[in-house]
Amino acid sequence: MNPFRVALAVARKDLRSEWRTREMVPALAQFVVLALLIGNFGFQIDSRNALTIAPGILWMALVFAGLVAFGRTFAAEREQASLDAMLMTPASPVAIFAGKALAASVLLVACEAVLLPALTLFFGTPLSGEVVAAVLLATVGMAALGVMFAAIVARVRARELLLPLLTLPLWIPFIVAGGQAVQSAMGLPGSYQEAIGLLIDFDILFVVLTSLAARFVLDE
Amino acid sequence: MNRAERWAAAAVALMLVAGAVIFLYAPTDALQGPVQRIFYLHVSAAIAAYGCFAVVLLGGIVYLRNESLVADRCARAGALVGVVLTTVTLVMGMLWAKPIWGTFWTWDARLTSTLVLWIIYAGYLLVRRLAEPGRQAARIGAVVGIFGFVDVPVVHFSVTWWRTQHPGPIIVNDALPAQMLATFLLTVACTLILAAVMVWMRYRIETLMDEKQHIAEPVKVVTAREPEPVP
Repeated sequence: MNPFRVALAVARKDLRSEWRTREMVPALAQFVVLALLIGNFGFQIDSRNALTIAPGILWMALVFAGLVAFGRTFAAEREQASLDAMLMTPASPVAIFAGKALAASVLLVACEAVLLPALTLFFGTPLSGEVVAAVLLATVGMAALGVMFAAIVARVRARELLLPLLTLPLWIPFIVAGGQAVQSAMGLPGSYQEAIGLLIDFDILFVVLTSLAARFVLDE
Repeated sequence: MNRAERWAAAAVALMLVAGAVIFLYAPTDALQGPVQRIFYLHVSAAIAAYGCFAVVLLGGIVYLRNESLVADRCARAGALVGVVLTTVTLVMGMLWAKPIWGTFWTWDARLTSTLVLWIIYAGYLLVRRLAEPGRQAARIGAVVGIFGFVDVPVVHFSVTWWRTQHPGPIIVNDALPAQMLATFLLTVACTLILAAVMVWMRYRIETLMDEKQHIAEPVKVVTAREPEPVP
């Protein structure tokens, strides 16, 4: 069984079910707009300080939207008990895992497609290719880690409690490097090249590690 | 006094010796004054904590390979002792930072990543408590422990990766006077022995807890067979 085709099939299945129910993406989009609203009232934002505050609000909104998105990744499988059925097929667990991660990151990218223009609209920050590239690169690694921990906590009590506790600390490298990249792309001091290099390193490291671990996480 | 108690007493006695050497033998730092004496235990606790998390990593890898219960108990014990030692490191570092830097906390690279390390392994302990005891908890724990350990090099090399105001590696750079170096090495050795004894103690507790759960389980499941007499 070709693992790439399995991964694509799993991702297609997840995205099709999202397309038919249209639950996650509208909820996530509303969630990030709400986060911007809270950011606006939490800080005293005007045209002078918007550039220094906006990157922080961007990452706060993105991280918590990510937690909501990845927390739901295995919801359907849990409710229908269909994960066991998927694992009984000859498909490799790594391919299933990659498909889940792919679908979850597509949902997160859809939410970013709302977040980034909204940030520009409300706070007047520049929306450049550099900002988009940094956010997309961070999404890759965050999705790999997020889906892995979502799979881990899917069978545990109090999973809503545990997912942020386990995921957020491991996302911090992406927030450090991504935060620096977005800040320098918006004209604040710091090296954009260096931050993007770090993001790519972290992406490679965690995508490899999560694919190695996927077998032990899913195979139960 | 059994063997474990003798070892525990010896470890405590060694720590008292290290304390005496830190306060009586080591010279007072010319710039920082007596506050500098925090350094010995602070760095020793950090090194011992790394050692404990290495045990969690190795235990996790061995468990995933052959499902050895011994490896899993070692990992559990290492995580608990490691979290305690990381707490000691953070608290002692903050006590040192207040008079020297003028603040308990700064978002320096190494401070941040040590805090992240603490959160990861505190999360490990939580996940172990919440997961179904047995195979599930052990597998999840192994994966979390291995991923947490990836953070250890990030912590260690963060001094060079990002700008930082945390003092650099002075031992490697040969910047420590001989008396201070001797005190430091003694404290590291004593702290490592203490950590090893604590991991061993915790291992014994984990074994007893496993046995207790093992005995409790068949009573519920095996109802057709005659219950075995409990000694």
